[in-house]
Amino acid sequence: MRIRLGWLSAAALAFALPAGAQETVKIGQIEAQTGPNAIYGWMSSQGLPIAVDQINKSGGFKVGDKTYKLDLTSVDTRGDPKEASIQLKKMLENDGIRFVFGPFLSNVFVTIEPYAAQFNGKFLLMGGATRMHDFVGAPGHDFVIRTWNWDAGPKGFGNLMVEQLVKNTGAKKIAMLIQNDQGGKVLADIYTAMFKEKHIDFQLEMFDPGTKDFTAVLAKLAAGKPDVLFPGYGDAAIADIVRQSTEGNFFRKFFLVRGSLGPGLKNKDEIDDYFVYVPKYFEAAEKTDPKIAKFVADYKAYYKRDFPYDQAPLCSSSCYDHVFMLVEAMKKAGSVSDIAKIRQALVSMTYDGLWRISYDEKGEEIINFDVVHMTRGGKISVNSVEAR
Amino acid sequence: MKALLWLPLLALPIVYRGDVVLTICIFSFLLAMAAVSFTLVFGFTGQLSMFHAAAFGLASYVTYLFVSRAHLPFWIALGPAMAMTVLLSLVVGTICFKFKLKAFYFAVVTLAFSELTRLLVLNWNDLTNGTLGLLVLEKPTVWVPGSGVLRIEGTIAWYYLSLAGLILTVGVCWLVLRSWIGRCFAAIRLDEDLAQTLGVDIFRYKLLSFTIANLLAALAGSFYGFYTGYIEPSYLSINQGLDIIAMVLLGGRLSLSGPIVGAFVLTGLPHLIELSGEVRAMLYGVILILSILVMPNGIVGSIAGWRRAA
Amino acid sequence: MLQLVVGQTLNGVIVGTLYGIIALGVTLTFGITGIVNFALGEFMMIGAYATWYLVDHVGLPFPVALVPAVASAALCGLAADQMLFRFTRNNLVNGLLVSIGLISIVEAGALALWTATPKDMSYVLTGALRLGGVSLPKIKLLAFGLLAGVIFLTYAALARTWIGRAAYAFAQNPEAAMLMGVRTDLMQTGVVVYSCALAGFGGALYASLYSLEPAMGGLYILKGVEAAILGGIGSLIGSLVGGVTIGVTEAIGSIYLPNAFRDAYGLVFVIVILLFKPSGLFGNEL
Repeated sequence: MRIRLGWLSAAALAFALPAGAQETVKIGQIEAQTGPNAIYGWMSSQGLPIAVDQINKSGGFKVGDKTYKLDLTSVDTRGDPKEASIQLKKMLENDGIRFVFGPFLSNVFVTIEPYAAQFNGKFLLMGGATRMHDFVGAPGHDFVIRTWNWDAGPKGFGNLMVEQLVKNTGAKKIAMLIQNDQGGKVLADIYTAMFKEKHIDFQLEMFDPGTKDFTAVLAKLAAGKPDVLFPGYGDAAIADIVRQSTEGNFFRKFFLVRGSLGPGLKNKDEIDDYFVYVPKYFEAAEKTDPKIAKFVADYKAYYKRDFPYDQAPLCSSSCYDHVFMLVEAMKKAGSVSDIAKIRQALVSMTYDGLWRISYDEKGEEIINFDVVHMTRGGKISVNSVEAR
Repeated sequence: MKALLWLPLLALPIVYRGDVVLTICIFSFLLAMAAVSFTLVFGFTGQLSMFHAAAFGLASYVTYLFVSRAHLPFWIALGPAMAMTVLLSLVVGTICFKFKLKAFYFAVVTLAFSELTRLLVLNWNDLTNGTLGLLVLEKPTVWVPGSGVLRIEGTIAWYYLSLAGLILTVGVCWLVLRSWIGRCFAAIRLDEDLAQTLGVDIFRYKLLSFTIANLLAALAGSFYGFYTGYIEPSYLSINQGLDIIAMVLLGGRLSLSGPIVGAFVLTGLPHLIELSGEVRAMLYGVILILSILVMPNGIVGSIAGWRRAA
Repeated sequence: MLQLVVGQTLNGVIVGTLYGIIALGVTLTFGITGIVNFALGEFMMIGAYATWYLVDHVGLPFPVALVPAVASAALCGLAADQMLFRFTRNNLVNGLLVSIGLISIVEAGALALWTATPKDMSYVLTGALRLGGVSLPKIKLLAFGLLAGVIFLTYAALARTWIGRAAYAFAQNPEAAMLMGVRTDLMQTGVVVYSCALAGFGGALYASLYSLEPAMGGLYILKGVEAAILGGIGSLIGSLVGGVTIGVTEAIGSIYLPNAFRDAYGLVFVIVILLFKPSGLFGNEL
């Protein structure tokens, strides 16, 4: 609330008050913090509050001659698009929030998109959903900023992953076992296209999310004698798939683009090769990068519990770094309300935080990442790839 | 007299323009349509059908496909959706009722068919885009005297359309229940075997109840898909069915107003209470349990009971 | 090809036995208390998480951890019976709603305690038996043996002991049983507790086989109900046969047909059987 005063009083006040009158910038977050798909929103909901807390504790940030603090409203969509649309409405219309982080879930994004598009130019939606790729940079969609990078395309990591796989194992045929949901379907589409292009043979089977016993379909895939298995996404399914593959003697080589090293390590004596794209291998990075070590320590101090190493890589999207980036963008633009200027500043910067982040001309993120290769017995080699 | 209760709902958008509340009302009206139609077969005829969500979801797909591929207007496209619903109801209903499956088995078989339908929709990618769902950009249009043809877009328009749909659903159910058909339903609900000895063709009336309920659910589903602008296979899921059942049981299954109350409570409640997801889910469970143990006839039924006792 | 079919049939039998123990719980509860306890999946989940916690965090060996895990599921079952199911005897619909409410509460509790991140218990028994190209993991064989054993023991106990005969008598004619001196209220509570214990036991074994999530119960109660119906409500051996049938049908179906429809194969089989024998494979005419 601003108190309207006459010109003179305002001028007098400007001299009287210290040049740092406290104002707040409201930011919001819509992610699935609970529910069956919470894995794709939980980590973001963990990282954002830490960032906001740090910024506010250090006295806020200065834009122009005013100092601002951040006010975070983080809601749990529970993965329900209906919930999310009502929550977003509240944020934009009732709470006056102009900067929203999330969603990571594609079905949530697709449902809120028509409504959000009505506010194009009036707010920013910074999220990691795979389906956002179809809208980023499209006319009338300046509000969409994708805070995660894309597998396919010239700046994507998929190509590099596949090249590494072929180079290290000479794989010619790959079996794919993917979840039959939004994320899985898009993944299947991207990689089948990529394999076709690189003349790698493939066999694709889909499964219902929530399946626990994969033995039958693994046997079916193994009968086609492929070299490697590409087991969908998400550690839940991957843990079971990898275990049952080795127990049943179906596969010994694995290729992952969304998942962690955990399942590999657990079965390390049974696996020949395990390739995984990890936005960052925190266990190793913690020892060499002081920023990572600090983040881990901050997390433990803030939440008073163990650091979730397996979930931490998902902090690469609309999580921790991105709050600082937004603040930097506002500073550079010299405004906390000129959306167009802030957007321009955001997508043209390169930020060195836990990751090295920049954006392409459409507004899709480019980040560096790790490729972890584990061989039998648990021998690990990490290949850090710079953003292209 | 009860018709007077509709007046405040009709007047609401004129008095209050808050978008969030009106949106919650729209969702409540649409789900209430599904709930009221469900209580026709469940509350009044006594058959626990788990096929309701399938009718709800499938119709939204069919209507949209005819709108987008055959370029029919929304109201015409409802035709094939209704026809498909009738066909499915007859097939599933005949299988269930002809073989005289008892209550529990009926529920499981309808559940099985519902799941099969969902799996079909989920995997028929060419037609339904599978798990990615369908984006609905078209909207129904209505001819309003004086303004010509209007697209139903925006909260106010959808408020009145969904309210109209609810009034239509309640109206149809009320007419059916008032008639001799309704009396047959009651007979089946109270004592099936006795009804049969009295000459009621229980097979025919169960089938009729099942079909009408599914048709009204189909209408609700079509509206819902076009309102949210996005249709996905989870509309046919068991959870969607259980949500509807919970609304009916909470509000009161032996009345037409009960499901409406239930729909409002369960749709609006999560937004009144600002709590974490887990606590909210726990609260939902506690409310359901309390309503069964303390109010077995639902909110409306219990109020009616107290009034009678007083 | 033959080895593929044989191997997967055997695996289907093992997976089906896990469905079977839940089905046993369903059929016992329905026969004696007249409701379907949809929340059995949650008691399975309680048993699974308890086992995981005791093995990975407290450090008990798996066989030792089984006892407190099953006991905790049974205790929760007792609590649920006294607070909820006691008021919904023979009322199928009320029992359903109460179960759904219970599921919401228990699942939310598990999410709050352990988050949605899946937990993978340390392996109990590694290695597999290789027989002519077919690999059967040892832990699966062990689980199969234990589950089948418990189901058969239950059957034997109900057929041979006094309690068992009392239960059958009650299921057939509650009033007569009461007149004959059977403590019906204790019996009903006992059955609820026992079926929750069965589910908890299934969960404990589940923890040794697969990763745990708070939502794991949903799949198993659905399959358990399907299996109970297929085998015939009221038949104990039927629940095992029903479970195994569904397990095998799913496995064979997903080999020859797309895996995406895996759940459908069991469903279609159940519908078809019901059309020919409406009371299920081993059930009595209702």
